[in-house]
Amino acid sequence: MNGMTTRRWALGLLSGVAMIAMGSARAAAEVRFGALYPFSGELAVLGDESWRGLELAVEERNAAGGVQGERIVLVRGDAVDNNQAVAEARRLISVSGVKAIFGTYSSARAQVASQVAELARIPYLEMGAVSDSITDRKFRYLFRTNPTARDMAERSIEMVINAVAPAHSVQPRDLRVAIIHEDSLYGTTVGRFQAGFAKEQGLNIVETLPYPANVVDMSALILRLQSAKADVVLQTSYQNDTVLFFRQAREAGFRPRAIIGGGGGYSLRETMQAVGQDVMDGVLNIDFTQIATNPKAAPGIPHFLEAYRAKYGMEPRSGHSLGNYAGAKIYLEAIDKAKSFSADDIAAALRALDIPEGQTAAGWGVRFGENGQNQRSKMMGLQWQDGKLVTVFPSEAAVSDLRLRR
Amino acid sequence: MQTFLQLVINGLMLGGLFAIISIGLTLIFGIIRLVNFAHGELLMVGMYLTWIGTSQLGLHPYVLAPPVVLVLFVIGVLIQRFILQPLLDARDAHVQIFATVGLSTALINLALLVFGADLYATPAPGVREAIHFGPFRVLIGQLVMFGCGIAVVVALHLFLERSYLGRAIRATAQHRAAAQLMGVDVRRIYIVTFGIGAACVGLAAVLVAPLYPTSPTVGTYFVLTAFVVVVLGGMGSLHGAFVGALLIGLVDSLSAYYIAPDLKEVVIFGLFLLVLLVRPTGLFGLGRGSE
Repeated sequence: MNGMTTRRWALGLLSGVAMIAMGSARAAAEVRFGALYPFSGELAVLGDESWRGLELAVEERNAAGGVQGERIVLVRGDAVDNNQAVAEARRLISVSGVKAIFGTYSSARAQVASQVAELARIPYLEMGAVSDSITDRKFRYLFRTNPTARDMAERSIEMVINAVAPAHSVQPRDLRVAIIHEDSLYGTTVGRFQAGFAKEQGLNIVETLPYPANVVDMSALILRLQSAKADVVLQTSYQNDTVLFFRQAREAGFRPRAIIGGGGGYSLRETMQAVGQDVMDGVLNIDFTQIATNPKAAPGIPHFLEAYRAKYGMEPRSGHSLGNYAGAKIYLEAIDKAKSFSADDIAAALRALDIPEGQTAAGWGVRFGENGQNQRSKMMGLQWQDGKLVTVFPSEAAVSDLRLRR
Repeated sequence: MQTFLQLVINGLMLGGLFAIISIGLTLIFGIIRLVNFAHGELLMVGMYLTWIGTSQLGLHPYVLAPPVVLVLFVIGVLIQRFILQPLLDARDAHVQIFATVGLSTALINLALLVFGADLYATPAPGVREAIHFGPFRVLIGQLVMFGCGIAVVVALHLFLERSYLGRAIRATAQHRAAAQLMGVDVRRIYIVTFGIGAACVGLAAVLVAPLYPTSPTVGTYFVLTAFVVVVLGGMGSLHGAFVGALLIGLVDSLSAYYIAPDLKEVVIFGLFLLVLLVRPTGLFGLGRGSE
């Protein structure tokens, strides 16, 4: 009886010691980073697509020896809504002890979660959220590799001037441009920047019409565009309103020379299927670098595609994985060169980056501004051609010529 | 002038859409005195059923009307029998309303789980084609919807006025306890009424699905307007709801054009408040609550 208890006690102690030893051995060779995305709920599909890019970049890095000689372990946090994003950011920092948080896809969640990280002095490394206000808060440990809503607006106006006008052999100022957008933060931000850039460039804006995203009838809006004789329409929208616009425009017989979307609903295959391939053919769009981009301008794409297909056994569902892959590679390379994993050393290493355009996986250069925003990342000009979204602008990234709408 | 008339036509057609969606809600509100927050989600369920029937079985959406109406009737009966009826004797009548809010959230998330967040377009050969009347255009699907709206209102009116069951339903609406004393099985009446209300939504779903893409949250786009229509029409008056819906459609269309698309809700709800202040019982209300 007595011997039994002693044996058990000794065994327990031994296993306890072993566990502590194993734990410390693991800690010595591992560094943890948080991966905060919406993994469930309405944004889950693109949240997961974004995560895949990060996962691929980390696996690649680990295969090459990790960062600062340590193996990277990703701890996932599910930012299903804003409250959850805050709670998960706190958990990652205080319970899991991550040295940096990568994310987030959703602008609203990035906005709130980055606040938690900043207060805890943990770098927040954004690779997908587009709202400009995220980097407008003078945070010291917040960085963003991807382009923003402002870049989207700038690119769309650039496309009107340098692609649409020449294709129709008219002067840009002779085009009658209408801006329509859903009236939440996303559409309003892009729409406002578009109006500003268009004015700067001397374009003729005939209508600027915000509408609620849950709109059930756009026929009156389309009648207004018809009355204004708009021949270029810039729309920033989600999926429902994109489908509604195309259906009702077709039904009303409204055929502008060019329609340029701003990501969102315009980038999704399901939108094209719901609208119809023939109706969507020739429609332009601005978004992150897509898979169908010339590798000369975005040198990482062939390698990324190969790795993606090998790991997931399918084609990427959107360009979000590529954007996160490119962003994560930029961050991990800099962290590897940092003196330690302290927030100040990581921030210093990131601020020292100076990569010219066209050299990272998605074609961006890297130079972080005071506010943490990458000043050398741009959106691409895309077009729906035969049911595929392909890059047509700028010319060095194009895989196909711009088509006129039939 | 031509633009104005086209706007009026568009507005009336939009009103037809609001009307067909609001009929079921009006019925349930008028008889059971229940604000059914899951109304939009019943529409969503019906639209998914229509989408499955058209895309998987290759049927025309209109052919699917009888089965979808029947399925929605059964769903309505089950909801009333197993979710709302047990709460009928709860101390606070609002418990039932909270139950429908819960049901609404549950159904949206169930749809997210099963179908994902993406939207689906119901194939509908011919329905989205426009008919031309001189310079004006109307979609075939919209005309059908408008006609069905009128037909359903007339049919329900006849049913409630002429049939024995209809009279029992009206008696229950007028005074629950008195009807019970006269030998009306109130619980059964409520079950049947909720079933009919849900069946009306089923018909609406079949007609709406060809015109609007289906997604888990599609019901939320329509339900707020449906509530406005019910109150505007006179809280339970069927023809009142129909006229209210046409009014909302017209205001929606005209204010989106002449004022601004993002301000049309301000105009609609402003008008709504005005009507409530001037005529608290709605346009076609009896002037007093019926119970």
